[in-house]
Amino acid sequence: MPETILELSDASIFQRETLILSNVNIEIQKGEFVYLIGKTGTGKSSFMKTLYGDLPLQSGYGQIVGIELQNLKEKQIPFLRRKLGVVFQDFKLLNDRNVKENLIFVLKATGWKDKSRMDKKIDEVLDKVGMKTKSFKFPYQLSGGEQQRVAIARALLNDPELILADEPTGNLDPQTSVEVMQVLQEINANGNTILMATHDYALLLKYPSKTLKCDGQRLFEVVQKQQH
Amino acid sequence: MASSFEKYQKRRLITSYFSVVISIALVLFLVGLLALLVLNTKKVADHFKEQIALTIYLKDTAKEVEIDQLQKSLALSEYTKSIEFVSKEQAAKAYSQEIGEDFMEFLGYNPLQNSIDVYFNADYVSETKIAEISRDLGEKEFVDEIIYDKPLIALLNDNIKRLSFWILAVSGLLTFIAVLLINSSIRLSVYAKRFTIKTMQMVGATKRFIRRPFILKSVKLGIIGSSISLVGMAVVLYYLDKSFPELKLISDEVLLAAIFAGVLILGILISWLSTFFATQRFLNLKTDELYY
Ligand SMILES: Nc1ncnc2c1ncn2[C@@H]1O[C@H](COP(=O)(O)OP(=O)(O)OP(=O)(O)O)[C@@H](O)[C@H]1O
Ligand SMILES: [Mg+2]
Repeated sequence: MPETILELSDASIFQRETLILSNVNIEIQKGEFVYLIGKTGTGKSSFMKTLYGDLPLQSGYGQIVGIELQNLKEKQIPFLRRKLGVVFQDFKLLNDRNVKENLIFVLKATGWKDKSRMDKKIDEVLDKVGMKTKSFKFPYQLSGGEQQRVAIARALLNDPELILADEPTGNLDPQTSVEVMQVLQEINANGNTILMATHDYALLLKYPSKTLKCDGQRLFEVVQKQQH
Repeated sequence: MASSFEKYQKRRLITSYFSVVISIALVLFLVGLLALLVLNTKKVADHFKEQIALTIYLKDTAKEVEIDQLQKSLALSEYTKSIEFVSKEQAAKAYSQEIGEDFMEFLGYNPLQNSIDVYFNADYVSETKIAEISRDLGEKEFVDEIIYDKPLIALLNDNIKRLSFWILAVSGLLTFIAVLLINSSIRLSVYAKRFTIKTMQMVGATKRFIRRPFILKSVKLGIIGSSISLVGMAVVLYYLDKSFPELKLISDEVLLAAIFAGVLILGILISWLSTFFATQRFLNLKTDELYY
């Protein structure tokens, strides 16, 4: 029985007063892997931001992991974000603490108490993205790709129902991209839903899946021609 | 290379904490000294007020029991600081000494009356209260006359009022500046972390969770700062007391303890509230508003 984890109808996405996307009607079912593509500046990040409550949904109806977006209260936002795993396009790591403390912060902020369980979880997610040996480094001591991998690890901490990844392979070499992609595929195979914005068409070809496209203030599903 | 950068970062952080601590310490030091001044003006003023006497002249017909009774009830009433019974003989002796000749000798009798001098507690030295007291006392049959220096009381109270008003106004202003100063240095140290605050919100931390470490840190700095100011005040008090022992600055331990505790609490409270509002400000901003 498919369960709708993300649903927008007649929604418009704004950056302040500027209309970015209009008349958005999409649905994502639990367990899907969905790409979000589109030229630079067409509104992929704005769309993602609306989904995690950084931009208000000013018109239309929206529902994500059971929370309504059109009248989202400020108080609800932290709890919405805990149900999501977000990989930000600009990473958003805490620069005043090292990798491990970055992850500890998220765990503590979301209610974890047991120190040994936290350590175990952190090892687990860092291992998944191949960053286990660099947990003592500060974000500014890491390369862009390494920071990106930490950001992915952070998004996995709370086994989120839905992962919103904004160009998670944008700073990675092709081989590492594929490795990260395999991690995401694995998580997807475990039942987590993933929405991933990307410019990396090689990945799309290698791992074909449902694809949404931003173009001309519209967001629509791409009909895949070469699917067999 | 990296470690020197880390050291540089740490040093920057420490400098910003340092400036918070110093501004708290300096400002509270001033406020504490002012508080000492304010409370000691009251002490000095009270000292003068308690010099004011009201004299009850008793009729010669007054019975000893009645006089005793009156003395007792005066001694018991809460407005009395002290009373002194002056018999007509004592009064005559004192008066003779004052004018340098024995006036009874050429008068042949003692024209003076028995009297009671009443000294008041400072809080009751006001025109209306003393008028009321003297009216009550005057109703007694054996009391002949009641005399006190009305204009002096008015003058004294006027001057004390004016003086305390100015001292209070200046301290109020200084306290206000103090709060602003501490507030702005705390604001600055929170401002330095505004992107961290925003990022914390992005990963699902509640406002309260984000605020807590900031407030803990500031309260810690507030305690350090006010402790420094307390040490400063203690040193100043010590030397003032050494130079002016007659002011009895250290005699009232309870008052001193209250001032010291007050300064400490003020330090904690100001840093707490400033941090609360400073973090709240950035927590309520939208992400892109941070850049404006
Ligand atoms: N904070 C903002 N205020 C106003 N306009 C904005 C803001 N952020 C982005 N925009 C505008 O919104 C449009 C969409 O931006 P967005 O970041 O969503 O694009 P994107 O599809 O994610 O691009 P990219 O592929 O480069 O990440 C752009 O035209 C941009 O100029
Ligand atoms: Mg983007």
